[in-house]
Amino acid sequence: MRESTIMKIHYGTALAAVALVAVHILMRLTMNFAESLEYETVLANYKFIPYALMLELILILLSVHGFNGLRVILLELKQGRTYEKAVSYGCLAAMVGLIAYGSRTIIMVNMGMV
Amino acid sequence: MTQDENKEGVGGMINPRRYGIERVAYWLMRLSGLGLLAYFIGHIYETSNILRGQVGWTELLEMTSTPFFHIILSIVIAMCVFHTVNGIRVMLGHGGIGVGKPSRPDYPYDPASQNYRHKIGIYSAIVLAAVAMMYGLAVLFGE
Repeated sequence: MRESTIMKIHYGTALAAVALVAVHILMRLTMNFAESLEYETVLANYKFIPYALMLELILILLSVHGFNGLRVILLELKQGRTYEKAVSYGCLAAMVGLIAYGSRTIIMVNMGMV
Repeated sequence: MTQDENKEGVGGMINPRRYGIERVAYWLMRLSGLGLLAYFIGHIYETSNILRGQVGWTELLEMTSTPFFHIILSIVIAMCVFHTVNGIRVMLGHGGIGVGKPSRPDYPYDPASQNYRHKIGIYSAIVLAAVAMMYGLAVLFGE
């Protein structure tokens, strides 16, 4: 993929994540902070499908943005064909792994498998 | 002086004492990005503890409800606000907004893009991050 396309994705995921993370944080502030982290409250959040979908979207957006950012930083430090490929595929694998791990939590709690 | 002697490598690149506030913003952007990625990975792992049931979740909350973790969370809030505000400034700059009109480069060759508008943007990002951190500390320690 062209670097210009990757940067557009980087900026797009950033803007979308800012909006959704703001909603995610505001949900913590709709009640007392400690109360919002109680087991029953968190469980109810996960079981509310629109909120679970938003969490999944945040997970994907931040993983793509975060690991692409890490890739950019690592490519600034050192260059070389093998190094660049290793960094790009390594970041891609880490991104997929994190999305899979986070999705597992969201899906299992949403489906009542706790 | 040969080219090798003049080569500072990564040490030269990370030196924040040259090129003004823009270089500081460059480093803060990267450091805050790495910090936020580390927090994000930790947060995904932390929230997966809900799969251990009420006991596991309560144990986790007890572990993280300490002054040390509250300070870490406040730093994360500051990094998040700085990264967002400075990121929007960078995006606008890449889109050609606030970088001035192209003109003939004349001595002393001041880069048109490093103007007062972007400097204000960087300082605003730092101030807003500090304010958000204070708010975070008030919420976390005011329970």
